[in-house]
Amino acid sequence: MAGLTFKNVVKKYDQNVVVHDFNLEIKDKEFLVLVGPSGCGKTTTLRMIAGLEEITSGELYIGDRLVNDVAPKDRDIAMVFQSYALYPHMSVYENMAFGLKLRKIPKAEIERRVREAAHILDIEHLLERKPKALSGGQRQRVALGRAIVREPQVFLMDEPLSNLDAKLRVQMRAEISKLRHRLQTTVVYVTHDQTEAMTMGDRIVVMKDGYIHQVDTPMNLYNHPKNMFVAGFIGSPSMNFLKVKLVEEKGRLWLVNPAFHLPSIEERREALTPYVNKEIIFGIRPEAIYDDAAFLEANPDWVVDVHVDVLEPMGAEHYVYFSLNEENVIARLDATSQAKVLQRHKVAFDMNMARYFDMETQEVIHRPGYQTAY
Amino acid sequence: MNGLGKSWRRHRMAYLFLTPALVVLAILVFYPLVKGILLSMTDMNQYNMGTKFLKASYHFIGLGNYRTILTSPEFWQITKQTIIWTFVNVFFHFSIGLFLALLLNRQFRGRTVYRILLLVPWAVPSFVSAFAWKWMFNYDYGFINLALTKLGLQPIPWLSHPTWAMVAVILTNVWLGIPFMMVTMLGGLQSIPKDLYEAAVVDGANRWQQFWRITLPLLRSVALTATLLGVIWTFNMFNIIFLVTGGGPVHSTEILVTYSYLQAFGEWKFGMASAYGVIILSFLVVFSSVYYRALHQEEKVF
Ligand SMILES: Nc1ncnc2c1ncn2[C@@H]1O[C@H](COP(=O)(O)OP(=O)(O)OP(=O)(O)O)[C@@H](O)[C@H]1O
Ligand SMILES: [Mg+2]
Repeated sequence: MAGLTFKNVVKKYDQNVVVHDFNLEIKDKEFLVLVGPSGCGKTTTLRMIAGLEEITSGELYIGDRLVNDVAPKDRDIAMVFQSYALYPHMSVYENMAFGLKLRKIPKAEIERRVREAAHILDIEHLLERKPKALSGGQRQRVALGRAIVREPQVFLMDEPLSNLDAKLRVQMRAEISKLRHRLQTTVVYVTHDQTEAMTMGDRIVVMKDGYIHQVDTPMNLYNHPKNMFVAGFIGSPSMNFLKVKLVEEKGRLWLVNPAFHLPSIEERREALTPYVNKEIIFGIRPEAIYDDAAFLEANPDWVVDVHVDVLEPMGAEHYVYFSLNEENVIARLDATSQAKVLQRHKVAFDMNMARYFDMETQEVIHRPGYQTAY
Repeated sequence: MNGLGKSWRRHRMAYLFLTPALVVLAILVFYPLVKGILLSMTDMNQYNMGTKFLKASYHFIGLGNYRTILTSPEFWQITKQTIIWTFVNVFFHFSIGLFLALLLNRQFRGRTVYRILLLVPWAVPSFVSAFAWKWMFNYDYGFINLALTKLGLQPIPWLSHPTWAMVAVILTNVWLGIPFMMVTMLGGLQSIPKDLYEAAVVDGANRWQQFWRITLPLLRSVALTATLLGVIWTFNMFNIIFLVTGGGPVHSTEILVTYSYLQAFGEWKFGMASAYGVIILSFLVVFSSVYYRALHQEEKVF
């Protein structure tokens, strides 16, 4: 068992820097998720851990061992590939046993480990089959099994669920989480799906263009995003961002734009004071917008009259789209909402949940109640 | 009967569309084939074959030609030579072709240039290559012997000694046949997904193990098909032997096709030559079907 440490790791392809000055400590037995949009360097980072990609500069440790120049086979890692990369000419059993055979592990021990992994993954009945004769979900399990039998110090997984249909993905997501508790091993998991990241990770690394934007627990990312990118990336639908001017009137701070006039709560006054009479970004999550009578009555200052453009019934709730000052806003309203398409509707923004961002730096202004995870 | 009738009615249009192709096939393939088999059972030669003025007077002699062939010592000697010729050639085509393909499959500077250079033997008309090699094998002025004597070695009687002559034609044909195998194998290599190698590396395989456990098994079906084609082509490779040694000295580099040609256009025994042709055909049919059955079993693996 071991953790991982990145110290100023940089990856360049020719002159093209794809991972910038990566510093991160991954704890032993932690489930760490790398998440970010396409091309942000997740796979590259994972492949550097595996040893499939050379590290241009900086240091990478597995446990206490500097592994920059250690061959993949000596790093004591196992990897699950996005494409599964099962050997097509070998049976499921042989696929799982391959790595062990190469390591000259005794036959009986190989057999024991493969059977056990197959049992855990519920693929015992498939051991004699060739990968071609398996469904996507079954292949996925075999790929996991091939990693499990190796009993490595670190599991690396590159979007292992992206080839599965939505339903199977949810199921396998839960299974990997279960498996991970059972195996008690460090896992580095790459995905571009924020739901996967939120539901599986102990901590999540949010990346963009080769930079780490924030490393935090799922709840901290959701509640205390460090900047607009993280705020927009985590949560679905995304946080709404509205450009407003901050003004002081009648002893209170107000967010003003042609479409509304909303008071900021007293607790934020101190943090926001330097921005008075300046433009800032007001961020509000779709789930922090309400339209029930009780909420509207209790908070008359927070009410905005909007024109509903689109309404998407999702079953338990409605996604309601409207625009304010030519910026699109989505609200997640309860299914009992009376909102109707192309009609005016009254909604209230829960200003306790408001987030504010600096226009220039896109960094959050003040994170009340934020506590680092570790 | 009933089934056929039904099928005929249902697929009338399909048969109609197939007709032109079937007619062309019949003319191009079946007619010469049947004609050849029929001729092989006659004593046709240059005197009785008939001319504008003389009526053909050859006779049906049943399996007479076959009896003569199968009981003649030359036939067995030449069959042995044909088999040696075929397998030595295909062995070197395959191993050298695979070796070069493995080299070319790597990333390195100037890869395209090498690829093109290695295709040269294929691009040059084979009779040109054959004459070039024949000249290189010349005892007195050939490049090879000049090089050998420069190195202080004895010149080799390439084209006048039976064993050396065989070596010479095989060398020529190996040189000519490598590009095909190389290109085919390279195609096969490139169709193996890169991530399998990465998975194998993570699993702990070194280069050697990757080659034996991943590359070769996945190259198998391409290799088997290419080898089958190679065997058929080499077995029937007429022009190189004909141009380099002419089958000599004293039939020592003769193979069945060249000998069949000799029967027809040297001895003018057309019946006999046809019988040789039929024997060659049956060898290849038997070989291919046995081979294909084995191949098919391999295929089921995937
Ligand atoms: N072999 C390579 N040569 C040059 N550039 C590369 C190479 N591999 C990746 N890149 C570049 O590095 C960047 C990061 O790629 P990477 O595969 O790590 O992205 P990713 O975050 O995994 O994206 P995705 O979600 O699409 O898989 C991309 O801009 C990509 O174009
Ligand atoms: Mg990727």
